Amino acid sequence: MTMVALAYGFIWLAVFGYVFTVGRRLGRLNDELDDLRRRMDRVKT
Amino acid sequence: MTIPPALSLPTMPTAPAPTSTRFLAACGGAFLLLFLACLAVAEAPLESVMGLVQKIFYFHVPCAWLLMLSTFVCAGGSIAYLFRGSERGDRIALSAAELGVLFGMCVLVSGPLWAKAAWGVYWQWEARLTSSLLLWLMLVAYVLARRYGGPSARQLAAALALFAAVDIPLVYFSVRFFRSIHPQTTVVSTLGPGMRSAFWLSLLSFTVLWFVLMSLRLAVENAQARIVELEVLLDQAEEKKS
Repeated sequence: MTMVALAYGFIWLAVFGYVFTVGRRLGRLNDELDDLRRRMDRVKT
Repeated sequence: MTIPPALSLPTMPTAPAPTSTRFLAACGGAFLLLFLACLAVAEAPLESVMGLVQKIFYFHVPCAWLLMLSTFVCAGGSIAYLFRGSERGDRIALSAAELGVLFGMCVLVSGPLWAKAAWGVYWQWEARLTSSLLLWLMLVAYVLARRYGGPSARQLAAALALFAAVDIPLVYFSVRFFRSIHPQTTVVSTLGPGMRSAFWLSLLSFTVLWFVLMSLRLAVENAQARIVELEVLLDQAEEKKS
């Protein structure tokens, strides 16, 4: 039972961990986009 | 200040695609399928010799399949990048390599846990296990080269992906051509009806999850490339302005 729980637990943890890290990268991209938007506004004016 | 036509600013992306409702729905669907697969695995009958520990099989094999699929896609993207200079191919290759590392890690952890219960040891240096470890290490090397190697490492990493693809037939056929204690590739056809449906549902749900994760990762990579392009254009526009 322990081995099965460990194996399934690890796989779920790894998949959710990966989704979390990609989500963080997405957050950073949104920050970069905001920064670009501000720079673009400055250039346009 | 009028920006010259050559430096005219492109439209700003509103937000990276992964935040869209369609993506969230796909993600929800994939996890719902996985949940159903878990229920099917729980309901599947116990194997007569190994008992409960055999249930690792239902997640272990789909992860191994996704390791191979990721490597194939990574190699395909790398070929497009190496021989046609396709940037999109390169982005696909990087995204697939990351997923290969993820699912390879799942295979290399769940397998030894099963082995400990079935064989009495976590690891045997036999053909299937060793070639799988080698495949995973090549994908790890690919990702590390891409992350820390700078722009010049892209071609080196692409070549590495081709070597990784060559390892796939070795992984798959190793149990036929070498003396191996690992179960044969024909094991799926020997499963009972309850076990077989749980296995196929699990394989389907993991494959759907792979496509969802791949589209998420690729969208992030595409958005990153677009941001870099925009930064270059903005730098040029700011220089002109000053």
